[in-house]
Amino acid sequence: MKTPYAHTPTIRQQIDPTCTNFRVFLLKTPLFPSNHSILRVNWEFSAMLIYTLIYSLLVFSNTYALDVLNSDVVVKNVGRSIDITSQLVKVVYQFTFENKGKNSEKYVLFAVEPQFKDKVAFVGSQIKDFKLKAVETKIQNHEDKSFWRIDLKSPLLPDKTVSFDVELIAVKALVPYPAEITQREKQLVKFSGNAFVYSPYKVLSQTTTIATGTKNIESFSKLQPSKQVDKGVSYGPYENTEPFSEAGITVHYENNSPFLIITRLERTLEISHWGNIAVEEDIDVYHHGAQLKGPFSRYEYQREANSGVASVKSFKTVLPASAISTYYRDEIGNISTSHLRVNSDSVELELRPRFPLFGGWKTHYILGYNVPSYEYLFNSGNNYVLKMRLVDHVFDNMIVEELVTKIILPEGAHNIKFSVPYPVTRLPDSKHYTYLDTKGRPVISVKKNFVVENHIQDFELTYVFPRILMLQEPVLLVVAFYLLFLFVIIYIRLDFSISPEEPKKDRTTYTGLCQKLITHQVKRLATFNLIDKEVNSNKNQNALAAALKPINQEYKFESTIINDLLAKVKGDANEKVSKLAEAQKLDKVLKEHYTQNIERYISGSMGKSQLLEELNSKKKTELVEKINSLLS
Amino acid sequence: MVKLESMQRYVSPVNPAVYPHLTVLLLGIGIFFTAWFFVYEVTSAKANRDLLKELVVSLVAAIFSGFGILFLLLWVGIYV
Repeated sequence: MKTPYAHTPTIRQQIDPTCTNFRVFLLKTPLFPSNHSILRVNWEFSAMLIYTLIYSLLVFSNTYALDVLNSDVVVKNVGRSIDITSQLVKVVYQFTFENKGKNSEKYVLFAVEPQFKDKVAFVGSQIKDFKLKAVETKIQNHEDKSFWRIDLKSPLLPDKTVSFDVELIAVKALVPYPAEITQREKQLVKFSGNAFVYSPYKVLSQTTTIATGTKNIESFSKLQPSKQVDKGVSYGPYENTEPFSEAGITVHYENNSPFLIITRLERTLEISHWGNIAVEEDIDVYHHGAQLKGPFSRYEYQREANSGVASVKSFKTVLPASAISTYYRDEIGNISTSHLRVNSDSVELELRPRFPLFGGWKTHYILGYNVPSYEYLFNSGNNYVLKMRLVDHVFDNMIVEELVTKIILPEGAHNIKFSVPYPVTRLPDSKHYTYLDTKGRPVISVKKNFVVENHIQDFELTYVFPRILMLQEPVLLVVAFYLLFLFVIIYIRLDFSISPEEPKKDRTTYTGLCQKLITHQVKRLATFNLIDKEVNSNKNQNALAAALKPINQEYKFESTIINDLLAKVKGDANEKVSKLAEAQKLDKVLKEHYTQNIERYISGSMGKSQLLEELNSKKKTELVEKINSLLS
Repeated sequence: MVKLESMQRYVSPVNPAVYPHLTVLLLGIGIFFTAWFFVYEVTSAKANRDLLKELVVSLVAAIFSGFGILFLLLWVGIYV
C-alpha cells in the first residue's frame, strides 16, 4: 500500500536529514529581503512566484514527513532483553525482519507503547558495528503512537530477511514501591511493561528476558509461558502475535543501585585561543528512589554495613585524559572529600558529596577542569572547528533531566554553525562578558531534556576568527597603562595653588642655573689649558694660529651661554651671584693677557721663550687660582 | 566548507609552558620603566622637564607592563 509520494530517503536527506527542521527553516528564511528597485517593479509577480514555490515545497515536505506502514513486512523473530538492574530501563531488541511483499523496503518502523512514550530517552539501531539512522516519525492513522523510522543499510528485497539490533533507553520507568523506606530498609521497585514486543508488524516468534540483577524478586506477572530464571524473569516464546499487541506485566524486585537523577546540568565550555578550553559543569543531583522515612542516624550509618543501602555515598566521574586543574566545590567552597586518579586514557574523579544522599535528598555542586585546545579545536587559516562532547559522563547510568550546554567563543568569532548528531533545542545566542572584553563573547546555548550516556557524542561547531583579534587583549592593557601615564604627565603640569607662583622663590630653578653657570665657566677655563698645550707643541706660528682657531671659537660659545645665564640670575643680589660675576671679570682679564701675548708672538715681535714665560707668569697663575676659588 | 580531516590541531601562538618566564621578563622590564617614569616625574624641575622623554619612557613602560600583565593572567589560569 504505497502512496504516489513514496519517499526516497536520498532526496529528503539532501533537504534536511531530520526533516523536522525543514518547515522551521522555510519560515525563518527571509522571503522578501531586498528592497531593490527592480524587485519592487516586479513585486506582484515575484510574490506570486515565491508563494507558489513555498506552497509546493510545504506540500512536498508534508507528504514527506509521513512514513508508510507496510503490512507486508513481518518480524520473523525478535529476542528482547530488558535490563532493569540500574535506575534505567535498557532494552535491546534483536530483530529479524522478513519482506513478504512484492516491493523492496528501504526502511522499517519501530514503535513504543503510547503510555511509555514520554519515558524514552534514546533509540538507536545498528547492524554489528554499523550504526543505522533512527529518526522519530509519524504514521497516518496511527497518530497516537510513537514511531521511529530505521533506514536500512541496503533495501530489503522481497522474500529476504534482515537482522539488526535496536537499543532503547527509558528513564523514570521504575517506580519505588513502597514509596517510602526507613534508613535500614532495602529499596524495592516496580517495573511495568508489556509482555509482547510492541511492533507495528506481525511478529511470528518472540521471547523476552528481564534481568533484575538480583534473586530477590517479590513478584512478577505470570503470563504463560513465563518463568523466573537466575537473577531475572523470562517470558515467551510467543508465536504469531498481532501488530500492537499488549499485555501488561509488572516485576517487583529489589534494586539498591543509585537512583540519582541530575535535575539540571549546565555545562559551559569556554574557548580561549591562548591554548585552553575551560569546562565547568554546574550540577543539581536528586535521589529519586524511595523517600527516606523517619530520622537519619549518622551513628548507625557509620557502624552498620547494611544501613542505608539504598543511599548514595559517592560516585565516580570520568573526565578526559588531558583534564588538568580540576576543582570540585559548592556554595560553601571546596569539597575536600574527593579523590582524583589519573589513568592512561582518562582521569577518574571520585566525588563524595558532603552528606550521603537518601531518597528525596538533593545536592548541588560545581565541577570544573581545563583541557588543552589541541585536543578539541582544529583550524585551517581563520576557520575553526570545535569538536567536543555535548555532554560528558557524570556517573554510570546517569539521567540528565535538563541539559544546557553553553559554548563561549572568543570575542570576534562569527559565521558560527552548530551541528549535533541528535536533535536539540537551540537557545537564543547571547553575550558573555569576562576579563578584557569589549563587545562581549558570543555564546551558543543548546538545551535537551532526558539525556543518558548514549548521548555522550561529539558536536561540531565551526566559526571564523581573525587571528589578529588575539592582539586586542594586550593592546587594551597597553592603552590602559598609557592613559594612566598620560594622566600623570598632564596632572604634574597643572597648577592647583591659589596664589600665583613667584619665580624668585623657585629655589630649584635658581640653584639649577647657578650650577649650570659654574659648569660652563669651568669648561671655559679649560680652554686656556688647551692653548698652553698647543703653544708647547707647535713651532710654526701659522700652524699655531690655525690650531688656536677652534679653541677660541669654543671659548666664545661658552662665553655667550655664560652671559645669558648671568643675565638670568642678575636679578638676585647675593653672594653666589656676585662671586660668579667676579669670576667672569677675571676671566676677561686672563683672556686679554693670553690674546695680547699670542698675537705678539705670531706677528714676530716676541720669541717663543718669552711667550712661554708670559703664559706661565705669576699674573696668570694668580688669576687662575682666583677664578678657581670663586667657582668652587 | 573546509573538512575537519584537512584541518590541523590548534595550538596557542605562544607555548603555554613559557607563560611564567614571559611574565617575569616582560613585567620586570615594565616595572623598571614605570619606576623610572614616576621617579622622573617627581624629581625633575618644571623648567628642565622633557615632554618627549616622558612620553617615550611611559610608552615603553606601558607596552611591557601590558604584555606582562596579559601573560600573568594566562599563567594564573585566567584564560582571556
